[in-house]
Amino acid sequence: MPNDFSFEMLTNYLLVGATLMALGMLGFLSRRNLIVMFLSAEMMLQGVALTLVGFGRYHGNWTGQVFTIVILTVAACEASIALALILILFNRRSSLDVSLWQEIREPGQPAIVEPESQAEPELAVAGPESYPHLLTAGIEPPHPTGAWSNRRD
Amino acid sequence: MDTLSRFDLINLVFTIVTGCCGVYLLLPHSHGRAKPILAHRIGYVFSSLSLISLFLFCRTTNVEFVTKAFFYIFAVASVACAILTITSRDPIHSALWFAAVVLATSGLFLLSGAQFLAAGTVIVYAGAIIVTFLFVIMLAQKEGRAIYDRMARAPFLATLASFLLLFGLLLALLGMRGQPVMGSGESKNITYPHRVVSAAERLRTRNQLSSKQILVLTRSLPASSELPESRLQNPDAAPLASGNHVASLGWTLYTEHLVTIELAGALLFAALIGALAIATPRAPVRPTMGIVVNAQPAEAKVS
Repeated sequence: MPNDFSFEMLTNYLLVGATLMALGMLGFLSRRNLIVMFLSAEMMLQGVALTLVGFGRYHGNWTGQVFTIVILTVAACEASIALALILILFNRRSSLDVSLWQEIREPGQPAIVEPESQAEPELAVAGPESYPHLLTAGIEPPHPTGAWSNRRD
Repeated sequence: MDTLSRFDLINLVFTIVTGCCGVYLLLPHSHGRAKPILAHRIGYVFSSLSLISLFLFCRTTNVEFVTKAFFYIFAVASVACAILTITSRDPIHSALWFAAVVLATSGLFLLSGAQFLAAGTVIVYAGAIIVTFLFVIMLAQKEGRAIYDRMARAPFLATLASFLLLFGLLLALLGMRGQPVMGSGESKNITYPHRVVSAAERLRTRNQLSSKQILVLTRSLPASSELPESRLQNPDAAPLASGNHVASLGWTLYTEHLVTIELAGALLFAALIGALAIATPRAPVRPTMGIVVNAQPAEAKVS
């Protein structure tokens, strides 16, 4: 293990941590699927963990790693409870959309309604008509004449 | 900010602008009359440009080649997979790309000498949390592609806000480059902790104080033994670069951070009970249930 964790290397780690944090925030703010929102929150936690480990290694003590273990624990607890809540919410409305739960907004604010024209058009996936047509090969086996239940053996 | 060179500033603005455009194009929303595939391709191009210019900021001068190569591999992989996580249309793809982010991050942990944490992150995050996510996606999915997966909420404003945050963070981090460097925790035999020495150096160079004035200033600070620098002063503490990593980490956890461990255990316990209580919403069985008043004899039903 190299013993030289220079200040430049620490800056590199902090840059990556900051990028993960900002991207996680972007995913949390813009996606509507509850699961993807929560994944983005977990990504923010990863960015913070990277920052902590970098600082811990730079200053030569264990505090960074200890607190990253705590972050790991907190993320696991948060995942279990949040996913249980997401399941409950799905059971109520049969949808993972977060904009269905707008009645908890502030009293004076209008609900955010997004028109469906804003959705990206779905890419058409080729169906069975595009599967390759295989020619028959080999000797055709003898077809049974009666039902399978009255076998002749 | 006074030490940000012109190249750094231009590169920073280029990174933010191309990243903003790229991620905006990749987020799922309608692009007017343009085809989505074209928008995705342009988005990927812009995001790659932004990634390359972001990693031009990383300086690895006194590092051997293998470390440098692995750092770049893991760092680029983590940021690229992060972009793919937040812009995937299918939540299962998002979960799998997030697993890749976790693997790359644990590689970075391994590079900085946190071996237990690397293994622990892979096991707990990629092994338990993401598998739980996939199970919940299995239990809570609609038939086919849902419309809310193809519609991002206010994509322009969200991208703008997040990249403004990233701009601020990168500006602050890059502005720290030219500062006199505080030493890492390698040296021993010092009377004052490093941060005091370097602060004194900075005072001297910036304000042109004489060394006598520095001595007066530093004498008024608490003595080094009272400052909470556990590694540099305490010879009994387990060093970071010792042979047995897990034993040293365990020693530190259970002596200096015992309360943290206990709190984390209590949190896990509470979360366990909470998740069980939330996720099984059966109606509670009251003692009066099942006793019917004015009922027909139940012997016919029992037999």
